[in-house]
Amino acid sequence: MIRNKLYVLVSTACATGYIWLFINYHRNISESFEPGICLFKRITGIPCPSCGSTRSVLSILKGDFIGALFWNPFGVIIMSILILAPLWILYDIVLRKDSLLQVYNRSEIFLRKKWIAIPLILLVILNWIWNIYKGL
Amino acid sequence: MEAQKVDMFIMTNAKYFEGYQIAGIRERLIALEDSKWAMISSVQLKDPTISLIVSILAGHFGIDRFILGDTGLGIAKLLTCGGLGIWTIIDWFLIMGVTREKNMHAIQQLLY
Repeated sequence: MIRNKLYVLVSTACATGYIWLFINYHRNISESFEPGICLFKRITGIPCPSCGSTRSVLSILKGDFIGALFWNPFGVIIMSILILAPLWILYDIVLRKDSLLQVYNRSEIFLRKKWIAIPLILLVILNWIWNIYKGL
Repeated sequence: MEAQKVDMFIMTNAKYFEGYQIAGIRERLIALEDSKWAMISSVQLKDPTISLIVSILAGHFGIDRFILGDTGLGIAKLLTCGGLGIWTIIDWFLIMGVTREKNMHAIQQLLY
């Protein structure tokens, strides 16, 4: 991955994320069981592993951490990325460094190790089963 | 290396690379020593068609990106419902090119 490509990708993703949150901010969380934008859910009717993360992030924004974990634990990860990534990119651009790229590359190698990857995959599958059970 | 051997390699593996890269690969292979043949012929190349199938079936979960070794992008795709479904569709069109680029990258390390 090249430095500028990664930074453009991450900032686009964050900008899209914030726009998405802004659009959904006034939705009533507790009543939103209708299928949202998720392709998989619209086609199969079954929630995907990351369904509910919008509601989760919105819960955090409204100060309800337990609710966020209930909707989807992925929301906590997404929220921390949404807050951290723009600051980190700004830091790198101002100081002309590539610390985010280095961390990205190192964590990619780290995550590819078998004893890290397999438990994480299992966690995602468990989360998926939980999502289906909750009927998100 | 012998031109015949190289042409054989190109013929069987052309589908793994972009069209514009083939001429360059052929030239480099002919200039290469014979001792590297075993390594060149045993490089694991990924099939673009397989990536396209995986992308259509499981691209929503980022599996296509995981298979190509883009773990970070795969996780991003998984966490965001396939980039709100938009990235999934974009990747149906990009993934074959990405696979060919990854193959080029894999063989380049032996060629140069």
